[in-house]
Amino acid sequence: MLAPGVAAAEGTSGPALDYAVTCQGCHRADGTGTPGTVPALAGSVGKFLRVPGGREFLVRVPGVAQAPLDDAALAAVLNWMLERFGRDDVPKGVVPYAAAEVGRLRRRPLTDVEGARRQLLEAIERAR
Amino acid sequence: MTDERRWLDRLCEGATRALARRTSRRSFLTRLGTALAGTAALPLLPVARAATDEHPAVPDDAALHGEVGDPKSCNYWRHCAIDGFLCACCGGSENTCPPGTEMSPLTWIGTCRNPGDGKDYIISYNDCCGQSLCMRCRCTRTEGERPVYLTMKNNDLLWCFGTQSRAVNCSVAVVLGVATRT
Repeated sequence: MLAPGVAAAEGTSGPALDYAVTCQGCHRADGTGTPGTVPALAGSVGKFLRVPGGREFLVRVPGVAQAPLDDAALAAVLNWMLERFGRDDVPKGVVPYAAAEVGRLRRRPLTDVEGARRQLLEAIERAR
Repeated sequence: MTDERRWLDRLCEGATRALARRTSRRSFLTRLGTALAGTAALPLLPVARAATDEHPAVPDDAALHGEVGDPKSCNYWRHCAIDGFLCACCGGSENTCPPGTEMSPLTWIGTCRNPGDGKDYIISYNDCCGQSLCMRCRCTRTEGERPVYLTMKNNDLLWCFGTQSRAVNCSVAVVLGVATRT
């Protein structure tokens, strides 16, 4: 009995494996999170790229910035997440995250995560 | 129809007479009373009724090649990074919660190598929540664990998030898939 929603026998590797081992425990395999406890990625993460500061925020949030992954692997996971959970929301022409960019941003931690997130969500709402 | 009834009548009559010859009414009443009282008292006995109400699913070991070890053992390969009481000892199994508990949707995830086939498997350590600590089969293993400031990679934390109750009972080790290197 394998848990639903996860690739089984073929094996999981690369960013999908990094997501499973590093992020999925809280954000879940389908990116739905847990309302009130863990923000959903599905249908949400891609929208952050529509507003100024959103691209930086996605790297600077503690779970991403502090993930035990090197910059290249972290950039790959972010791009994988945007493809998987934000395909319909990412604006056209967005450049994928690069290792150097991720390395620079993750070294500038957010001091007010909730506040920054709230402002971005309001901006996303206004931009609709 | 009539013949059939006669045949049935004869059978019943014979059985009743045979019973009457062998037993007294009093002994019948005694046995009936014992049976009734026994049936009524059976649910009160401390048997694991939960096991019949909600039988744990068959472990998924059949899906793995070369499965070895005992899920009730701390040394069991899936438990390489577990910290808690093994649900297999608490009325559940290595991947199902005991009846009356709720599996936490939030979990911490690692990989363990199955010595049976030499493959690395992605393992989800979910806490089962809603009852007090099981206190059986305590197992603390720390392979791949990170310090507590890396909360998502630390298994000292109570992981009953997103559940109705924050009380942790035991932990399961669910196989999510095979991890392969690129």
